Parts: sequence; C-alpha cells; structure tokens
Amino acid sequence: MLYESMSFLYYLNPEKYKLRKWREDNHRNSEQIVDVGEELINEHASKLGDDIWIIYEQVMIAALDCSRDDLAWTCLQELKKQFPGSQRVKRLAGMRLEALEKYEDASKQYDSILQDDPTNTAARKRKISILKAQGKSAEAIRELNEYLEQFVGDQEAWHELSELYINEHDYGKAAFCLEELMMTNPHNHLYCEQYAEVKYTQGGLENLELSRKYFAQALKLNNGNMRALFGLYMSASHIAASPKVNATVKKANVKYAAWATNQINRAYQLAGRGTKENKCSVKAVEEMLESMQITMS
Amino acid sequence: MAEPELLLDSNIRLWVVLPIVFITFLVGVIRHYVSILLQSDKKLTLEQVSDSQILIRSRILRENGKYIPKQSFLMRKFYFNNQEDGFFKNTKRKVVPPSPMTDPSMLTDMMKGNVTNVLPMILIGGWINWTFSGFVTTKVPFPLTLRFKPMLQQGIELLSLDASWVSSASWYFLNVFGLRSMYSLILGQDNGADQSRIMQEQMSGAAMAMPADTNKAFKAEWEALELTDHQWALENIEEELMSRELDLDGMFSKELPTGIF
Repeated sequence: MLYESMSFLYYLNPEKYKLRKWREDNHRNSEQIVDVGEELINEHASKLGDDIWIIYEQVMIAALDCSRDDLAWTCLQELKKQFPGSQRVKRLAGMRLEALEKYEDASKQYDSILQDDPTNTAARKRKISILKAQGKSAEAIRELNEYLEQFVGDQEAWHELSELYINEHDYGKAAFCLEELMMTNPHNHLYCEQYAEVKYTQGGLENLELSRKYFAQALKLNNGNMRALFGLYMSASHIAASPKVNATVKKANVKYAAWATNQINRAYQLAGRGTKENKCSVKAVEEMLESMQITMS
Repeated sequence: MAEPELLLDSNIRLWVVLPIVFITFLVGVIRHYVSILLQSDKKLTLEQVSDSQILIRSRILRENGKYIPKQSFLMRKFYFNNQEDGFFKNTKRKVVPPSPMTDPSMLTDMMKGNVTNVLPMILIGGWINWTFSGFVTTKVPFPLTLRFKPMLQQGIELLSLDASWVSSASWYFLNVFGLRSMYSLILGQDNGADQSRIMQEQMSGAAMAMPADTNKAFKAEWEALELTDHQWALENIEEELMSRELDLDGMFSKELPTGIF
C-alpha cells in the first residue's frame, strides 16, 4: 500500500481518506467518525476492499462513544465473522460489554485474552480502565503500577498514572510519572508544562524554582504556549514575594516576572488588533498584572 | 589519461539495462509477498518484553537524564545501580542460549530466511551472468582501480578496458541495493524485499529476542549508567529564553478548531 504518495486518494474517496487521517492522528471525534463511517459502510462497502475491516473497528469504537449500540453490534458481528478467534476482536467485544456497564463479563473476556497471551497489553489496560470507570481509583492505581513494572516503556500508561495521582492529590508521584514522560519525549512542551504545574501546586520554594525553570523550558520549546507564559509569571512573582529569599534571587525573579508581563501584553496586543472586545481583554490583562505587582512589592 | 569514450550499442540499453531493472524489481516484490506467506509468529515471553523495555528505559535515562531535575536522576540511577538491591546488580535471568540445533523454530526461521533472500539472489545473479555475458553494460561514473576488473567485468576478457566499464552482473547487484527506496515507496515501510536491511539486522543482532545476552546486556547497562553524570539542561534556561522576544507569529492568525465531539 502506498503510504506517502496517497494524497490523490483524497480526490478519489474523500471519506476513506478522512477516516484514515483520523485513525492515524488518533482523533477522538466520535460523532464525525460515526457519521462518515456509517455512510461508508452502508453505501460503499464494495468499494472499500480490505480496508473495510479496520474501518469497522474504528467506527465501532466511535459508536460505543456515541451510545450507538446498534451500529457497534453490526460492526462487531462483521468482524467476528471475518476473524473468528482473534484477540483484537475479543478486545472489541469486551469494550462493548464495558460500554453496557457489564463490567464482570468484560473482565472475564479480558482474562480469557490474557490466558492465551500474557503479553497482551491492550487487555490489561482495559481491565484497569474498568476499575477507573467503577470509581475504584486506589485499586486502579495499584493495578497500573503493577502493569508499569512489567511494561516500563508504555508512555500512555505513565500519562494515565500521572492523571490518577493528580486526582488523588499525590503530586510527588504524579511528578515522577511526568518525569518519565519528559525523558522519553524531551521536545514535547506539554509534558514540561504539566510537570511545571504539578511542581507549582506542590508549593515550597524549591518546587517553585523548579516549576519556573520548566515553564521556561516549555516556552523555549514552544514560544506560543500562553499557559506556560502565565505560569512563568506566577511562579516568578511568587518566589519574589516570598519572605525567605535573599535580595539577588528576589531581583532576578522580579526581572523574570517583568519580562513575562511584557510578553503577555505583546501577545494580547497581537491578538486584539482592531476588535473592540479584545481591547477590553487587553486592558483586563494589564490591570490583573498590575494588581499582582502591587501585592508583590 | 583521456580515453576515447566507448559508444555502446543502444540495443544494450533497451534489451539489457532495462530488463535487469525490471527483473530485480519484480523478484523483490515476489520476495516480499513470499516472506509474508511464510511468516511465523514470534512468541515472546513476558519476561523478554519486560527486560527489553527496561533496557530501553535505562538507555533513555542515560541519554535524556539531563532534562529532569538532578534529584530525580539520582533517584533512578540509585534504583538501577545500587550495590545492595539495584536492579541491574541483582537480577539474574536464566540463560538458555538458542542454539539452532536444539530450537526447531529458530532452525526453520533461518532456513526460510536463507531461501527467500540469499538463494534467489545467487540464482538470479548467476542466470543474468550467463544470459547477459560477453559485453559491457554500463559505466560507473567514478574511476576504479584495476583490482576491481575481475570482480566487475566477469566474462569480458579485455586487458585494456577501463575498470569503470562493468558487466551486467554488477549492474544487477547495483540494482538490488538501489531499488530499496523504491520498495519502501511501493510496499510500505516494513517490507520483506528489503534485503540490505535484513542483512543489517542479522549483523547487529535482534534487539528483542536475544535471551542469552540479557545478563550481559544488564552488566553493560550497569557500567554505562555508572559512568553517566547529570548535566542539567535547564541550568541557564531563563537567560537563554529571555535573551530575545518570544516569537508569536502565526498564533492568532486564524480560527482555532474547537471541540472534538
């Protein structure tokens, strides 16, 4: 199959191209997928050839998201007919049971997959998400930790674990998970930013310094990350406002905060060229920054 | 040493050069599909998968440890390398060297590999040599020494001929390696016709399924990690960042797509 030079496919069959793009980019626009996919399956099944099976899978998961149980059932039946005994199809059957909240049956389904193939990561992850759906976050965290002991390289799992820890307010451990992600993806500014936010939430002078540094890193990786810019401003001003710092540190942080203020104003000026309501938001940002400065000095 | 340029019959171009290209290409495509048919599932144990991922994690720690705070780096290094209960110090795996005689699946894999890759190359190379022999096919654009003559000019017994003029067998081998990028364009990335890639893999050893080397791999990682130091990349990040204004171009030029549902 031609992968690189298939842009002409767009003109031949735009729906198929759209579905493939969504699949490869991991989009979760389930309503759109269901619309396009349903039409494709019902009208043009013959034209799709072998692609139809992966489209069935994609549409089925989207249908489960939109509570379209009828469509999900149809897709599942077709896949079962074509691939009897496939573990991938078994996992989809388990997902359907999860969507119907039949968690016991779904769990049994995944256990049977794991008996055949203990290295199947998808089944393990579905079992953990069952626990999460049932609200048993402590157990989910424990299971996810065990999973990660075996499969240390699974980045999706590390991210999920960091989210669970943040929900439990265990920021130290969440920071650990985000560090793993930062190491494996050093150029991803979003992980840096999330790590900085966790450190900021933890509080304490050392963590504030770390958070300022990682906000700066996120900004360096992506100059347009407004959240990181605001985070930089807030952490710098907090450090400057703290009574425990010496004069040089305070001066440096005031400088950083001032620079951040400038950049924020610049960004809002750029955004608000011309339109009236944007002029109001520019003014609001300026006032907010000034008021923070007053509390600081 | 300006030699008069040899003018080759244009029939050579039509009936030799192009057919060899087609033959090589088609044989490659056939090899790809045959390898798909003959593929056997490689079952990996949980331990193997786990170990390979741990080794990758340790390597990433060495390479990208400079992006995380010093404390975190030391914590992880301690976990791996600690004298009493570090992972690399303590974990010993049962080593079963996969000798080709005892392990039947390895034997069949090797045979299949040989049949699909080496054998066709030898057969077709020999056939081309026999069919298209006795004349010069093409000229390589760089000058070669005389020692290449017997290798590249099989079947042409001319002492005075410049070594740059090569026979059809060498054109065939040139094609085998040159059509690699064509294969990845037509057959997708992981294709079975990519012979040089397979040979590279055989030489460097499979990263995943080499259980005999796990203990050695652990020891190697332990040593490498001991030597690694933490040079924090974010030491002067504020100065670097604030040395110039932020590049906000293109941020607000168009409507951002909202919502996913």
